[in-house]
Amino acid sequence: MNDWEQVGLIARFLRGRKWYGSEWYITVAGAFILFIVISSTLLAPLLAPYNPIKPAGGRFEEPGAGKTVIVVATGTTNITKPADLAGQKVAAKAHSTGSVRAEALKADVYPALSVKKALDSLAAGNVRAVLLTTQEAQKLLPAYQGALKTVGKPFGITFYMGTDNLGRDIWSRIIWGARGILLVAILAALFSALIGIPLGLISGYWGGTVDRVLSLIMDSIYAFPGLILAIAMAAMLGPGIVNIAVAISVVYIPTYFRITRGQVLSVKEELYVEAAHSLGATASTIIKAYIFPNVVPSIVVVFSLNIADAILTEAGLSFLGLGLPPPTPDWGFDLNKGRAYLPLGYWWPITFPGAMIALVALGFSLLGEGLGEILNPRLRES
Amino acid sequence: MSLRSYIITRILMTIPMLLVLVTLVFFILRVMPGDPVLAMMRPGTPKAYLNELRHEMGLDKPIMVQYVDYLWDLARGRLGTSLAPVRGRPVAKDLWAKFPATLELSLTSFLITIIVGVSTGAYAAYKRRSAADYTFRLYSIIIYAIPVFWLGLMFQLIFGVYLHWLPVAGRIDDLALAPKTITGMYLLDSVLTGNWPSFVNAAKHLILPSVTLGLYLSGIFTRLTRSNMLNSLRQDFVTAARARGISENRVVVRHALKNAFIPILTMMGLQFALLLAGAVLTESTFSWPGLGRFLVERIGYRDFPSIQGTVAFFAILVAVVSLLVDILYAYLDPRIRY
Repeated sequence: MNDWEQVGLIARFLRGRKWYGSEWYITVAGAFILFIVISSTLLAPLLAPYNPIKPAGGRFEEPGAGKTVIVVATGTTNITKPADLAGQKVAAKAHSTGSVRAEALKADVYPALSVKKALDSLAAGNVRAVLLTTQEAQKLLPAYQGALKTVGKPFGITFYMGTDNLGRDIWSRIIWGARGILLVAILAALFSALIGIPLGLISGYWGGTVDRVLSLIMDSIYAFPGLILAIAMAAMLGPGIVNIAVAISVVYIPTYFRITRGQVLSVKEELYVEAAHSLGATASTIIKAYIFPNVVPSIVVVFSLNIADAILTEAGLSFLGLGLPPPTPDWGFDLNKGRAYLPLGYWWPITFPGAMIALVALGFSLLGEGLGEILNPRLRES
Repeated sequence: MSLRSYIITRILMTIPMLLVLVTLVFFILRVMPGDPVLAMMRPGTPKAYLNELRHEMGLDKPIMVQYVDYLWDLARGRLGTSLAPVRGRPVAKDLWAKFPATLELSLTSFLITIIVGVSTGAYAAYKRRSAADYTFRLYSIIIYAIPVFWLGLMFQLIFGVYLHWLPVAGRIDDLALAPKTITGMYLLDSVLTGNWPSFVNAAKHLILPSVTLGLYLSGIFTRLTRSNMLNSLRQDFVTAARARGISENRVVVRHALKNAFIPILTMMGLQFALLLAGAVLTESTFSWPGLGRFLVERIGYRDFPSIQGTVAFFAILVAVVSLLVDILYAYLDPRIRY
């Protein structure tokens, strides 16, 4: 056993597996989900194959599509790889993945109404090559047996989750999108903690009129539907990461206030606080040295659960069009856009971003739940 | 204390809470950076016109005067007049027109929440540490993490787009089908007027939104019921009931669950606030013409008086519901009154 396994929080945590049973696994599952999501969004430049805010292919390409092949007339010999297309006359269906790729290769692109029309004009000798996806090639090429052939290997990276209404790669938007939502949620939780905790300390420690007034205000906000308050504030503040974080943070100030105040009230009665008092310790010393450390474990738990909530609130705001300014990748806003195309049966633009919101919220919930049981064993049901 | 004096005290206690809430709404919307008139109008609108609008909305008065005016108007049930899309239309009129749709959705959802949440929670507690217990506990965590609007979209995709079983938007296929307005709630009105086709149509439209919203909250009730039920099953009266030979079903439902339900009831006021927040998103997902969709739509128009009015209306609604819940609680559990 290493030294670090014997002392401190990590040791407690590792040994926890035996003590806490299912709660330990819940915590680890939550931490694992968050580790995967956070590290993948930090590695977004490496993991995301396409620019999340630029069209990467045709509109609504299905998940798994995205590989492109070059088709030329049977006799052509000078085009064998994608780079050979530069400056050549190339036909592709307008706004399709083929035409986006041909543009990127600096070819002289001739947009056609359909893939078949593009192939026809190639067969007629009007253009030098046609770009189309492998799926389209499989379907349409056999009709041109003998006249046209594919050259080179299929190129381009698969759209693992398809493309959206603007032809942007959903997988890349997912990977990059975690940044905005996580940043907003964590900032919001921090803001509310920074306001709620000191107010809770003051209110709980001094009591009296201050306590009564603060409690009334906080209880009123707490009772109010948070999202509606956040909607009103976000609408007034306008889009932007900090603005949304501020709008969300107001909703959660009472959560921190209440938990801190409750803890202070119970700790205040302890003998060691009384002893410190009689030794002449000042209020600030007592709060810093005796009361605050007792509040921390509860706050860690609340913080984690709060981020889960803030993520759902951010997603809700951006679903209503009050989130980050487009074209920033934002899962909630992507759902809002994808929703319009749902009746046409395009399931992928709405399925993946929503699943990610749920996954991240679940990660923070599990972490908070598990930590709650581990750090506050007294709360555990027997 | 008699029930009557308890109710009177509780009503008096609602007033400060309500005051705090509407004050908050006022100051958040008014003190925040950003001039509502400027935010509302396109850039380049003549200054004179902006000032005229400010004057019309009373925004040129000192803030405290505005605040007192606002409270006085609110006390008389006035919520100002709309600026867009129809200028001069009283906000209160719009809110009253939209309210029944939200109420209908909320009530059916709440019913689903309670049925699903209480039954899963009670069963999980009764079969403690069984596979069902773990499944339902996991369900309560997962369902809470799923964004309610996404759940709605998935239901639309499955039951509307692929299976064609249920409509995905609106309250009724054709306004001509709508029942005569009595309460404004289509289901209730169609029953009252005996309008069967309208009932079926309205019910079909109601299923997906209310199941979505209902399931969203059910996880919380699963948890609440489970922990209260665990507590209640440990009590002596349950052992006593079993000893008297009362059937197990009756012990669990009539003795344990009935007592576990009282603490759950106290939470309902808070849950109702969550339900309203969920309703805003659900209404937007299903194009349900209620208060939530109204709020979002008016944000699009930057119709400031309507936004403020709707939020204030929600505040009043929350205060009234928590009052009703507390009264019901006091009625069911006489200990509260003392």
